[in-house]
Amino acid sequence: MSTDLIPLSEEEAAVSGRQKAARYLVNHPHLVLIGVLVLLIILTGLIEPNYLSINGLRNSALFAVPIGILAAGQTILMLTGGIDLSAAMIATGAAYIAANQSPQGAVIAILGGLLVGFLAGAANGIGVGIFQVNPLIMTLAMSGILLGLFTSWAQTIFSGSTRMGDFIRTLGGGSFFGRAIPWAVVVWAVLSVFVVYMLRRSGFGRNLYALGDNPAVARLSGTRAWQVLIIVYTMAGVFAAIAGLLLGGRVGAVDLQLAGVFLLPSVAAAVIGGTSIFGGIGTYTGTILGALILGVLQSLLTFLGAGQAVQQMLYGSIVIGLSWLYTRISAAQ
Amino acid sequence: MSEEFLLAARGVAKQYGPVVALRSANLSVVPGEIHALLGANGAGKSTLVKILSSVIRADAGAIDVHGVEAALQKPTDSLAAGIATVFQDPALIRDLTLEQNLRISRLTKSDVLPWLERMNLGHIDFDLQVADVPLAVLRLLDLARALAHDPQLLMLDEITAALTTDQADYVFELMQEWKDRGRSVLFISHRLGEVLASCDRATILRNGADVAHLDLAGVDEGQLVTAMLGEELVEELEEAGTTQETGPAVAAGARDRKERPVVLELKDVHLRDKVNGISFELRQGEILGLTALEGQGQKELFQALSGDHRPSAGELLVKGEPLRARSPYDAIRRGVVLVPADRQQALLPQRSVRENLATPLYNSAGGWLALAGDEKERVDGAVARLDIDVRAGSQAQRLSGGNQQKVTIGRWLAAGFDTLLCFDPTRGIDIQTKAQIYDLLREVAADGASVILYTSELREIQLVCDRVLVMYAGRIVNEQDAATATEESMLSAAHGLKEVPA
Amino acid sequence: MTSTSPDALVAGTQAPWRRWLRRHGWTLGVWLLLFLLIAYYATLIPRFGAFQVASIVNNATPLVFLAVAQAVIVIAGGIDLGVGGMLVLSSVTAARLMEGQPFGVTIVLAVLILLAAAVINSGVGWIITRSNVPDIVITLGSLYVFQGLALAVLPNPGGGTSEGFRWLFTGSDTGIGTNPWPAAVMMTVAVAAVAWWMGKTRSGLSLYAAGSDRTAAFLSGINADRVKIMAYAVGGAFAALAGLANTAIAGRGNATTVGGNLTLNSVAAIVLGGVALTGGIGSAIAVVPAGIILFFLNPILTAMGVDPSSAQVIQGVLIVFVMAATGIIEWRRRRQA
Repeated sequence: MSTDLIPLSEEEAAVSGRQKAARYLVNHPHLVLIGVLVLLIILTGLIEPNYLSINGLRNSALFAVPIGILAAGQTILMLTGGIDLSAAMIATGAAYIAANQSPQGAVIAILGGLLVGFLAGAANGIGVGIFQVNPLIMTLAMSGILLGLFTSWAQTIFSGSTRMGDFIRTLGGGSFFGRAIPWAVVVWAVLSVFVVYMLRRSGFGRNLYALGDNPAVARLSGTRAWQVLIIVYTMAGVFAAIAGLLLGGRVGAVDLQLAGVFLLPSVAAAVIGGTSIFGGIGTYTGTILGALILGVLQSLLTFLGAGQAVQQMLYGSIVIGLSWLYTRISAAQ
Repeated sequence: MSEEFLLAARGVAKQYGPVVALRSANLSVVPGEIHALLGANGAGKSTLVKILSSVIRADAGAIDVHGVEAALQKPTDSLAAGIATVFQDPALIRDLTLEQNLRISRLTKSDVLPWLERMNLGHIDFDLQVADVPLAVLRLLDLARALAHDPQLLMLDEITAALTTDQADYVFELMQEWKDRGRSVLFISHRLGEVLASCDRATILRNGADVAHLDLAGVDEGQLVTAMLGEELVEELEEAGTTQETGPAVAAGARDRKERPVVLELKDVHLRDKVNGISFELRQGEILGLTALEGQGQKELFQALSGDHRPSAGELLVKGEPLRARSPYDAIRRGVVLVPADRQQALLPQRSVRENLATPLYNSAGGWLALAGDEKERVDGAVARLDIDVRAGSQAQRLSGGNQQKVTIGRWLAAGFDTLLCFDPTRGIDIQTKAQIYDLLREVAADGASVILYTSELREIQLVCDRVLVMYAGRIVNEQDAATATEESMLSAAHGLKEVPA
Repeated sequence: MTSTSPDALVAGTQAPWRRWLRRHGWTLGVWLLLFLLIAYYATLIPRFGAFQVASIVNNATPLVFLAVAQAVIVIAGGIDLGVGGMLVLSSVTAARLMEGQPFGVTIVLAVLILLAAAVINSGVGWIITRSNVPDIVITLGSLYVFQGLALAVLPNPGGGTSEGFRWLFTGSDTGIGTNPWPAAVMMTVAVAAVAWWMGKTRSGLSLYAAGSDRTAAFLSGINADRVKIMAYAVGGAFAALAGLANTAIAGRGNATTVGGNLTLNSVAAIVLGGVALTGGIGSAIAVVPAGIILFFLNPILTAMGVDPSSAQVIQGVLIVFVMAATGIIEWRRRRQA
């Protein structure tokens, strides 16, 4: 590419009003998402007036929780140019262990579940960070490994209870303030504060963006990618485990298909939220909006009585349409 | 009027977003001439070449071939119009064999063989994979491929860089033959000696427009440089040069420098087969120049210095303590930092100027939990000191080339360092920014830091450095005091010659 | 600096077998591994005969075709998460339309399905080139769309096909038998055709060019966007062929098959087959044994007395191991370059 260019004078650089509007949207991409979210809520309300109540919105939020928490992992990994295809299986495994250990008490059960996420995530991080395995392949293989392990453990060392303990069930499905606010949403909110802080206000977050935007710069600036990658994959594993515990708590009983359906929506939420799959660009706030959009969409489709077929087609079209819109907006600058 | 021209480009303009690469360029080539296209880095040469070869489309202007306006939309259009180009980066697919590459260009072995034989490459194995063939040979192959298209106009963009003397001679012979056939050649080169020796006429670009059309008979290099840079800037540069101490003061300075502590020492450093035993010392406050032709191991030497690669033999001492870096982090921790040449490797294109500048502050776990409390002061300080234009600062990729380069240097001003390794830091940036960078380097040296400056522009050595080392084939072949070093002496050393030619 | 004609550049100086081995060593290795595994399998079970061979060859066909589909697209610089969805969609469409039809009609339908798949997937490629959205995102969307369409076409597992059509892919009218030849011939012809196209023709080589270096490809007069659309079309057709094989083997269609898992298997297969996920490197011929091996691991581990779930663990570990090994080899090569 041409190297040195001559800057334009002020008047030459003046831009039209339409470009200004486009630039405003580029700099505030969340406005588009909030618009879509509000539109969807209104639309759902028009179809089913009861939806516009605490109960209705609560259902959407509950559906968005596992997607949003899994997508937290996807977001921080996608910022580094990675992805986690084992997230759903980690969530399932964590829930499985937690259910299995529930007779030992809530603390052991939760720690056991989180340990699954920690170990699987760390293994992913070692594979990607030290052995340079492509993230897609590493996490895909991890998913298969976990499925195999848990299938065989279900009959051997971890046979027994598949029912979640009461504490985790309250956490996953219970609410407070007269059933207004689900505990799961509180957990998600706490996690969100952590992730948003990490990405905006911590040096570690800066490393994630730098690694995804240009690994050569990160390296020459002294960042050791393997350290950052191991930590971030471990973190994503723990997030997945949390999602699994909440989901398992909501459902009550755990099987090995528990979280599978949430894998692709978790990637979709991050993509819809404006995180680039190539890394370097994205925020967790966008992902949260993406997860909420998917949650409301789920309610809308339920009210419409749409079957699986329509739901999936719509899902796919939304991923394609919104990501296309995003690149259009950023190209307009 | 334009029928007599083989090629006539009129008022060609090109703009990338807010920056103008070409304002209005005119270029006319008559049949049977070798025409030089000259200009300082960033004058718009490569943009014009890309437009003529249909890599990019012009925003305005027209291009006539034999008096007929050519519609240049995609590279095959230029070929169809009789324009074939050999680019700096050979347009060959790494993962395919030479023969497969020819097939993609709709050519066969027999089309290129006659030309390859002229370049002593007649026996080349077409079943080789491009990735296994050295760059110089690829350039010649690309030339043979261009000639096989039998073009009216042959465009050669910096073809002689990285060629050996005899390889370059083959190229000049073929250019001459093409001229004798009544065809034309457009020759782009930084090497003015080559231009004067082989070209008939020249068009000179400055700031995106053509500023001179010269008949090269009787013109000397100085006149070309003046035309390329413009009168004022040449004076400015000369002024900048004279601000350095001269005469006895230099000698005193040199004596003074010899008494300062050694901050970096190399003892017989080897790296693969590219760096073959290099030893030197760098003292505090010194600006050490390094120059070489392309591919003499300077890149690898900088990789070893910056901790990117560990030397395969020899020792690196920082302030007397050995440095065995596993990654650049280890070198940075010891105060040795690198400003790379390629800005693609030096920028976070989608992140803000601020994040770009602050990156090294967070390279170890100590800086991970929060942002550095003094981040803003450090970043603002670097911005102010380098006079970085941050108006387009939300994404570093929107900055101009000069500002981007300032960001890559500013990163280390914000983070702090003892020894700054600069690899061709002024390549492709405007002259004002260059002057700012020279000033900055002298300032940091005056403040007690040390600098190693690799540059391919020899005049920079005299402008900025205290001492110069010349590399050839992985070794230091010459050391001079920069104030007394002449371009001729450095150039002949860089070519591996023992004696200075008359 | 290099001299003009170093010996290494001259024809005939490097032993031909040595270069052949360097360039095709991976392909050879994967084939060898497959035959070793089969030989080992033969010693494990009491009776190894035509039935076992037929079972391996026939049942591996869908994965092999799906892996070839993925390989074509990845070599051209893309990646298609939607191939698994396309397999399911074409499989259920075939099962729905072919039920109760005579052989001739099923063949016509099969051809139409292949064509339609090529057209639909070229549309996916077109969206990618037009939108500049990464392949992986758009095809994540197309995966959903295909899976949804499949459910709409055939809400409940069922449908059928003609006996002749089943014979074409399984060598038996019932889908179970001792005749591996039709499937073997089908695979050989399809893969040889695509390998010849990619290695010997300009349009096929342009896939490698576009996947390897877009700029150089562009300068060589290749329209990388058009090449990508072409790759998606061919990939779509191969994914549909895998779907047809699936219908022939099962004798019916099932839209609840998870296409995403099939896609992931196809990616694992091409990685084992030596295709670089970064594009430009690999061959369809090495993908065939890789696909068979991935399928074959299950029966072989079962025969070794390992339960199927542990087989899955071993398969995952193997893939990571292969990738880590290639990663380290590549890293060392770059260090020395």
